[in-house]
Amino acid sequence: MSKPAKGDMKTDGAQLKTTKATKATKAKPGAKANDAIATVRQRFLVSADALAALVDKLAAAGTPAVAPAWTADGTTDATDATVAATARETEYRSVSGAAELALGERLPRLSLKQYFLPPTEVLFSYRRNGGGEVELTPAPTDFAAQVVLGARPCDTAALPIVDKVMNWDYADELWNARRAATTIFSLACGVEDDSCFCSAVFLDPATAQGADGLLTPVDDGYLVETLSDKGDAFAAAHPESFAALAAGTDKAATEQAERFRAAAGERVAGHLTLDHERLRNWLENHFDDPFWATLGLRCNGCGVCASVCPTCHCFDIVDEPESVGRGVRRRNWDTCQTCVFTLHASGHNPRADQNARYRQRIEHKFHVYPFKFGDVLCTGCGRCSRACPTSQDLAEILAAINAKAAGESAAPDKAGKASKAAKGADAAPTTGADS
Amino acid sequence: MSDLQDTARRLLDEGTVQVVIGWEASRLGARPVFVTSADDCDKLIFDTRCVHNLATFLNPRRVQVAALGKAAVVVKGCDAKAVAGLLREAQFERDAVVTIGVRCGGVVSEPSGLEPPELTSANVAARCPGCDVREPASVDFLVGEAQPEPPVTTSLNERIGELDALSPAERFAFWTGELSRCTQCYACRQACPLCYCERCIVEKSQPQWIETSPHPRGNFAWHLTRAQHLAGRCVGCGECERACPVGIPLGLINRKLQQVVHELYGYTVTDDPAVPAPIGAYATDDTQDFIK
Amino acid sequence: MTDLSTFEPRVTAFVCNWCTYTGADLAGTSRLHMASNVRIVRLPCTGRIDHLFIVKAFERGADGVIVSGCHPADCHYTAGNYHARRRFGVFRELLTFMGIDPQRLTFSWVSASEGRKWQDVVNETVDRVRRLGPFDSYHGLAGAATAADDPFAAIEATAASSDAPEHRGAS
Ligand code: SF4
Ligand code: SF4
Ligand code: SF4
Ligand code: SF4
Ligand code: SF4
Repeated sequence: MSKPAKGDMKTDGAQLKTTKATKATKAKPGAKANDAIATVRQRFLVSADALAALVDKLAAAGTPAVAPAWTADGTTDATDATVAATARETEYRSVSGAAELALGERLPRLSLKQYFLPPTEVLFSYRRNGGGEVELTPAPTDFAAQVVLGARPCDTAALPIVDKVMNWDYADELWNARRAATTIFSLACGVEDDSCFCSAVFLDPATAQGADGLLTPVDDGYLVETLSDKGDAFAAAHPESFAALAAGTDKAATEQAERFRAAAGERVAGHLTLDHERLRNWLENHFDDPFWATLGLRCNGCGVCASVCPTCHCFDIVDEPESVGRGVRRRNWDTCQTCVFTLHASGHNPRADQNARYRQRIEHKFHVYPFKFGDVLCTGCGRCSRACPTSQDLAEILAAINAKAAGESAAPDKAGKASKAAKGADAAPTTGADS
Repeated sequence: MSDLQDTARRLLDEGTVQVVIGWEASRLGARPVFVTSADDCDKLIFDTRCVHNLATFLNPRRVQVAALGKAAVVVKGCDAKAVAGLLREAQFERDAVVTIGVRCGGVVSEPSGLEPPELTSANVAARCPGCDVREPASVDFLVGEAQPEPPVTTSLNERIGELDALSPAERFAFWTGELSRCTQCYACRQACPLCYCERCIVEKSQPQWIETSPHPRGNFAWHLTRAQHLAGRCVGCGECERACPVGIPLGLINRKLQQVVHELYGYTVTDDPAVPAPIGAYATDDTQDFIK
Repeated sequence: MTDLSTFEPRVTAFVCNWCTYTGADLAGTSRLHMASNVRIVRLPCTGRIDHLFIVKAFERGADGVIVSGCHPADCHYTAGNYHARRRFGVFRELLTFMGIDPQRLTFSWVSASEGRKWQDVVNETVDRVRRLGPFDSYHGLAGAATAADDPFAAIEATAASSDAPEHRGAS
């Protein structure tokens, strides 16, 4: 077993805890400035049967809902109960019936972002016309309305965060049009695992951030709370599914839902605690810290962490000729973890090794993005840790940095010199996180 | 695994190597570890969670690992085959690396859990049943107790048989459906110990032979190329499929090509680097039934 | 979909410079009658023919592909055709496993003196591919129509379907 990092990292148990837990503070300048969480508009009680009927109805009408469903792959059929639990996976997809639903099961393997930033999409097509001029036809942005049912709160919460970069120096029409066309009902989460840490990044398992409605499991169904005009409109369009709460049951169902959410919140809160301001300062001042020098050793540079991440949004742009003089321009998912991401035409690569690339991942999410946009670029969904083929553990790494930052702020005069004082070669290159 | 730890400690103490590449237990299961000090050797483990193919870290493109100095690498059978593959293709000299073989009774498909899980036919990795190198022969040290046979599970061969029985159009529909999920992230390539090219052809743009957009047309070109470039080289370690974030059944393609090179050219993947690879070699009397 | 009654297969032939190309030349100068559906791409050697040439041909609208070069022991570079034979032996099986009908492919040895054999290879391949029909399933993989259809409509169709057929996740 790896030795615990100085002070406060526990690696021998199921949970990561920081001993000197510092309370994360909301709305510190530059730490987190999220739009106020929308207030509840209406409450409904939707039985499990009514939800199933709604899903079937939407599919029959040719407007299937997007929802978590069991995967059925070439080798592993997750609907087969004899398949090991670790091999049974779920994914978001357009469901053709309620039988496919996998609500409240393992986190879908890809996040919801593919419905707003598809792995590949056409930006425009081009052709050279008879006169030798190039004509461009932009991709249409009139997307059909779609509804997502049972989204993970940590996926939904990512959307308003990414909205900021998508509307920063340029308003991304495709992203915005898909956002506008989509109504999202999240499902409060009660199945966290050791990789989750939403409560360490200002969220919780029942966050309504980004959602038009929130479902919370209660006896025989779900308490549904609408949070936006889109949420209200969807409920109004399906009155047979959204039963108004009968007088008297209102309080009981709401209290039960509160208890479910509070219990889940408490469980996750035990996983990790971060002091974001201190973390950000440490990251800002320790670009060359020896801590980074071993972090990329086991990393494959494969970018699975970015593919599965709800907040990673980098894309590459390619022109694809269909023939002489015509073709399409597309954008495709990309990731800072690959060696070619920053490769210059000259052959120079400013991020020459995987340490530098892994540092970029942490810096972007916990320093640069919060600094620029006020939001941490991470919802603590834990997908990156779960999906990483070499078991890089983001929560463990963050806990280690948090501990370093805490140690230095306890001895402020050393802070600035830390990177010069420590010698990279002396740091035992073992797990990376605990060196 | 005290003899594993002892061997590693001795190698580091004597200065034979500067780093031992092995596995350690972690919060979320097991993971690769790079031990540079004899004092840290008690971290090293080998159990059913040690799925990662550590030969990947011997890829010349892993500059950071190379910078640690001469390495000893802990290898189970499939890792040993990959080391042999790298030697066969002259990626380094035999004495540039020390291999510590471990006797293996199979591993799980996902390395999770605080304790090593019992192997069952439900959780065993697809490559393990029927494995022929559970005690790697061409290693410098062999450690650990003899292990039982891995449990039997629905084999890749049976699934391939089912696919072979379909019509071409049905198979095409199957693969179009599967490949439509691929995002061309190339995690399969990054995980593969034999994918060591300095610059992969999919990243060459002048000319751009493979469309990098993950539509099925680009994905077919990518997968046909990945498979063809690994024909007769793939050791069947399954790391590519495990790395894939969207569950593309790459193991089916890899196993199929292992069958093909065996049927056509009598080649079976081996941990003996002296056996030449089937592609890149030829015989004047090779089969040519398919040539008019 | 292509109209089957007027369907003319498009076949791309990758041939070596020394044997098959000269053989095809002989077929031409001998005024042998053969199907005109084959476009020849001349390469130094079958050993130079990468599997991606075949893939690219299918991507760009070919319905069938011919790969042809010198007979065994006749290679201008001694062993290029032996290497090609191994690689294509494997690649043909790979294509078959991925659902690409091997009947769309012809591999042949045609020497410089075998003009008649080239004529046979061409006619047989074109007939076979004509019976199989157009390879629309491959040509349509990116959501685009082939150049045989209205090219501009094809582009617009690709753009319009930008969020759907090409990637299941975004349906
Ligand atoms: S951290 Fe893991 S998932 Fe991310 S690039 Fe590295 S190996 Fe791949
Ligand atoms: S960085 Fe990891 S934990 Fe954070 S949002 Fe992305 S995948 Fe989830
Ligand atoms: S972490 Fe990397 S891939 Fe993700 S958004 Fe930032 S730069 Fe892009
Ligand atoms: S192709 Fe896959 S199974 Fe074969 S050696 Fe590479 S990672 Fe292992
Ligand atoms: S098969 Fe999987 S790992 Fe490989 S490129 Fe496609 S999505 Fe990535």
